[in-house]
Amino acid sequence: MLEKGKISALQMTVLLYPTITATAILVLPATTGNFAKQDMWLSPIWASIFGYLSVFIAYLLHHYYPQKTLIQFSEKIVGVIPGKLISFGFLFFLLHTNGLNLRDYGEFVIGNFLPKTPMIVIILSMAFVCAITVYGGLEVMARASQFFFPVFVVLFLFIIILLVPVLNPENIFPILGEGLTPSLKGALIPSQWFNEFILISFFLPYLNRNGKGLKWGIIAVTLVMITLVISNLFSLLLFGDLTPFFTYPFMDAARYISIADFLQHVESIIMALWVTGMFIKISVFYYAVVIGVAQWLDLTNYRPIVFPIGFLLVVVSIWSTPSLQKLIDFSGTTWPFYAFLFQMLIPISLLFIAIIRKKRSK
Amino acid sequence: MKWLSVLGIILIALLITLYEWPKLKKNQKKEKKAFVVLMLTSVTLSISILYFPDMPGPTELIDKIFKPFGKLLSTK
Repeated sequence: MLEKGKISALQMTVLLYPTITATAILVLPATTGNFAKQDMWLSPIWASIFGYLSVFIAYLLHHYYPQKTLIQFSEKIVGVIPGKLISFGFLFFLLHTNGLNLRDYGEFVIGNFLPKTPMIVIILSMAFVCAITVYGGLEVMARASQFFFPVFVVLFLFIIILLVPVLNPENIFPILGEGLTPSLKGALIPSQWFNEFILISFFLPYLNRNGKGLKWGIIAVTLVMITLVISNLFSLLLFGDLTPFFTYPFMDAARYISIADFLQHVESIIMALWVTGMFIKISVFYYAVVIGVAQWLDLTNYRPIVFPIGFLLVVVSIWSTPSLQKLIDFSGTTWPFYAFLFQMLIPISLLFIAIIRKKRSK
Repeated sequence: MKWLSVLGIILIALLITLYEWPKLKKNQKKEKKAFVVLMLTSVTLSISILYFPDMPGPTELIDKIFKPFGKLLSTK
């Protein structure tokens, strides 16, 4: 076994929750608002179906091939060479997406807080911290995330409570004014965020008590859904039809908070939220890439390739997009289909082939 | 000024190698190969990006492949 550490099911949830919410909380109100208008708070609910589906697929595959991650069982299911090809595609997707995440983080920090710092400094420092965490292994990563998760939740609740007095509940009407279609269209992009739950496949083999994986996976999806509904709803109630015109609506919502001319500039809290969340998100993807590459090449230890892959990750994040506009355009148009192929189509076809194989062998 | 960045890239690569190489045991041939290949790829890529910043990257590749679908979601 490559990874000797074991984590509890709760730790898995705590790792997965920020992995999805970190980016979604800030960008999602704008992207869903584009399609769903005043029904955008419904979109995460439809999208979460994909999250549940992903968890089920990963769990069933884990059930057929216990102690194996997606990279390992794809070889068992479709044969060595096609399996290696699929895994390579999947790893490329993870590395590329993580590069985009890292870039997204850099763009946000520079655009909102540190306008004069060079991009490379922000990206390198984040990649370095994540590299150290991944180097420590799964247990270290889980404990780090266990430490940051309450911070994440408390800060989020703090912002939510402060926003309540400035909300305008009328913005929500008419509910389903144009039928279900707009909210379903708005769910297309977040559905791929929820599909990132397929990463659970990299954690299920390392749970200390096997039975609880499915239950806590479902809890994670539900928590993410609730959080996203709240962040979308609050952005909508505050900005109404204007929401899609902001790049980070939830951030601008926090800028709006001003209580008795005393409590102001709470957007720095959003910054703290974003940094802790992104740290976990990037680490989780990074870990999946590292462990995936190590399994793909049948290495005996994954630690030697942690830093080289981190280096590659930084290169990809610089290389993958020339500007924030291109990044947003890419993640709003092409990325959902790209992600759908790797996060949904491939795992579900693997599952069907695995089921057919099991039935035949009986 | 670009040679300075090149120097920085090589320095980082060197530091990683100095840290990681002594830990690899003699019989870990695969690990050594993987390490060298990944390192060389990253260094070459980063230096090429430095000199040709507009070099088409993974995003352009994916954009080309998925363009027909991507149009469905573009609002322009």
